Amino acid sequence: MANIKLRGVNKQFGDVKVIKDVSLTVEDNEFVVFVGPSGCGKSTLLRLIAGLEELTTGEIHIDNARIDHLAPAARGLAMVFQSYALYPHFTVGQNMGYALRVAKESKASIEKKVRAAAEILQLTDYLDRKPKALSGGQRQRVAIGRAIVRNPKVFLFDEPLSNLDAKLRVAMRIELTKLHRTLNATMIYVTHDQIEAMTMADKIVVLRDGVVEQIGAPLDLYNAPNNRFVAGFIGSPAMNFFAGQVAAFSEGSVEVELADGANITFPCQGSGLLVGDPVEFGVRPEHFSIGQGVDGTLNGDVYAVERLGGETYLYLTSGSQKEIVVHVSGDHQVAVGDRVEIGFSISQSHLFGPDGQSVSARNG
Amino acid sequence: MDDADYARAKRRRARNLKLWLAFLLAPPAAILIVFVFLPMASAVLYSLYEWDGLVRKEFIGLENFADILLNPNKNTLLFNAFWNNVKVFFSLMIVQNGIALVLALLLARNPRGYRFYQVVFFVPVILSTVIIGFQWKMFLNPVFGLVNKALHYVGLSDWALPWLGLPETALPSMLLVNSWHWFGFPTLVFLAAIHRIPKDFIEAARLDGASEWRIAREIIWPLMAPAVTIIVVLTFIGSFNWFEIPYIMNGLEGSPQGSTDMLGLLFYRTAFGSVSAGGSDFGSGSALAVLMFIFIFVFSIIATKYLTSREVEMS
Repeated sequence: MANIKLRGVNKQFGDVKVIKDVSLTVEDNEFVVFVGPSGCGKSTLLRLIAGLEELTTGEIHIDNARIDHLAPAARGLAMVFQSYALYPHFTVGQNMGYALRVAKESKASIEKKVRAAAEILQLTDYLDRKPKALSGGQRQRVAIGRAIVRNPKVFLFDEPLSNLDAKLRVAMRIELTKLHRTLNATMIYVTHDQIEAMTMADKIVVLRDGVVEQIGAPLDLYNAPNNRFVAGFIGSPAMNFFAGQVAAFSEGSVEVELADGANITFPCQGSGLLVGDPVEFGVRPEHFSIGQGVDGTLNGDVYAVERLGGETYLYLTSGSQKEIVVHVSGDHQVAVGDRVEIGFSISQSHLFGPDGQSVSARNG
Repeated sequence: MDDADYARAKRRRARNLKLWLAFLLAPPAAILIVFVFLPMASAVLYSLYEWDGLVRKEFIGLENFADILLNPNKNTLLFNAFWNNVKVFFSLMIVQNGIALVLALLLARNPRGYRFYQVVFFVPVILSTVIIGFQWKMFLNPVFGLVNKALHYVGLSDWALPWLGLPETALPSMLLVNSWHWFGFPTLVFLAAIHRIPKDFIEAARLDGASEWRIAREIIWPLMAPAVTIIVVLTFIGSFNWFEIPYIMNGLEGSPQGSTDMLGLLFYRTAFGSVSAGGSDFGSGSALAVLMFIFIFVFSIIATKYLTSREVEMS
C-alpha cells in the first residue's frame, strides 16, 4: 500500500476556484475521509487524485513519486463511484475482471483474482449475472470488488453509500471498515455525511469552499474543533451556538455576556479578544443536562419533542435564541410547553471569536 | 359519499379517460388510414389487375408479380436495381454512418468550437435534396465542374474523370453526395446516444486502463445500441427507397449502363412509362411497389428485433 501527499493543490474551472491551496498527507494504510457540505470540492479533490481532472497548480505524490502528470490508469489507484459505474452489458465477473483483461492478464489469472475478490465480498453466486439483476447493496459490492482485483496502491471512494437505503448504509459502513482492516489498504473516502466520516475514518479532512478547515482524528474534531464551521458540521444534531460579546478579562479567562444577559467565564490564554468583540458560545446538544449546570444554566420553553426510543431531543426557545437542541435520555418526562432549566459545563463548551476561530484552540 | 356514489365517480373517471384517449388518437389514426393504409391497400389491389395505361382492366391475380420476377426481360432489370440498392445500403453504412460515428466520438469530447461544428455538420441535412443533387451534378460536370477544375489546379489532371458518365464512378459519386447530404443526421443521433452514456462508465474504463479506442469499442459502442438500431433501420429504408439523388443526377434510366438504376427508378419507369420502358404499366409498377414494401417491411422488422435484442438498459 502507499502514502499520498498533496502539496499546494489548486483547481480552477474557468474563473471559479474550486480547490484552494490544499496540502495534506494520507499515511500508509490510513482510512481518510474527505467531508464537507455539497459543493465544497471534496469530490473534485478525489478526482484530482484519481487523475480524472487536471490540476491547475500543485503536486500529488504517491510513495514520494510525483504522479499528477500520469494518466489515471498509470497511478495505481482504484475508484468506487457513487453510481457504481458498473458496465451494464458485462456480467459481474466481466466487470470485476475488466481492468485485468485490459492489462492482458491470462484468463486463468483473471478468473483466480475475480474469484478471490468475489469470495471476500460474498459475490461468488452472482458472477454470471448482469448488474441490473442485482440489488443496490450487491452492485455496491461489485464496484468494490472491481477495485479490489486491481490490487491498487490506494482505494478511492466517491460517496459510495449515498444511493443505498439507511439500513443498508449502516451495514455497508461496517463492511467497508472490515474490508479496510482485511486489505490493510490506504483508502480515501468522500462523503457529505458526517456520521460516515466519524464512524469510518482514521482521519477526517473537513473541507469548505475548496479550503481545508481542519484535519484530525474524528474525536479530535468533535472535541476540539478549530472553528465554528467544523464545530457545526461535526456532530449530529449540530452544536448550539449562542451570540454574545466579550464583557471583561481576568487572569486566564474571558467573561462573555450572552445576548439574553447570562454571563459565562471562559478560561483562555492570549485569545486576542478585546472587550466588546462579538463571540459565539457553543454547546453540543448532548452536553446539556437538565437542571442546574456545573458552570452555568439557561432556561428555555419546549416547543417540540422528538422521541427516538433510546434518546429524546428537546427543541427549546430561550429569549432571542430561536432554537436550542438538547439531548436527553429516552424516558425523560417532558412535554411541549414545559419550561426547563438546562445546565452546561465549560469543559464541554466552546467559544468562537469574531473570525469564527475557536478561542479554546488558541489556548496554549 | 356512499358506495354507489363512489362507483359512479370511478366509472365517470374511467369514461373521461377513454374519451380523452380517443380524442388524442383519432386524428393521427385518421391520417394514417387515409394517407398510408389506403394507398397501400390500393397498391396491393392495383397489382392484381391488368392495366391499359391508367385504365384498370381485368383481374389477373398474381400474374404481374410472376411477370416481373420471372420474365427474363424484366427480372434482369429488377435484380440489377436490387443489387444496386444493396450496394447503396452497405456503402452508406460504411461511408456515411462511419464518418458520422467518428465525428460523434470526436464531438463527444467537447472540442473547442463544439457548437459550431454541430451546426456546420447539420446544415447539409436541412438543404433541399433537389438543390444538392443539381449543385453536385454541376460540380461533377466533366468540362466545367468544380471537382475536375480543382484536380487540374492541384496538378492531378489524370484523376479528372467524367464522374457521372462512367459506370465505375457514377454510383460511388452519388453515394458520396448522399453521404455529404445526410451525414449530419446520424452524427447528431450518435452524439445524443453517447451523451446519454453516464460519464462514470467512461471514467471507470479510463481508470481500468482502457485506451480511448478500447473505450469506444467495448463501452461506448455497445451502450449506444439503440441509436445504432435507429440509424441502421433508417439507412436500410432510405437505401431501398433511394430515388431523388440518382434521378436528379443521372436521370430516370439509371445510366450509365444501369449502374445507378434503383428499385425506385425502376418502379417509376414501369408504372408511369419512360423512353426505355415505353408506356406505363400500372399493374407491374404496383406489383413492384408491393414487393419493395414487403421486402423493406420484413427486413426492417427482423433487423429491429435483432438489433433491439443487443440493447442493454443503462442501469
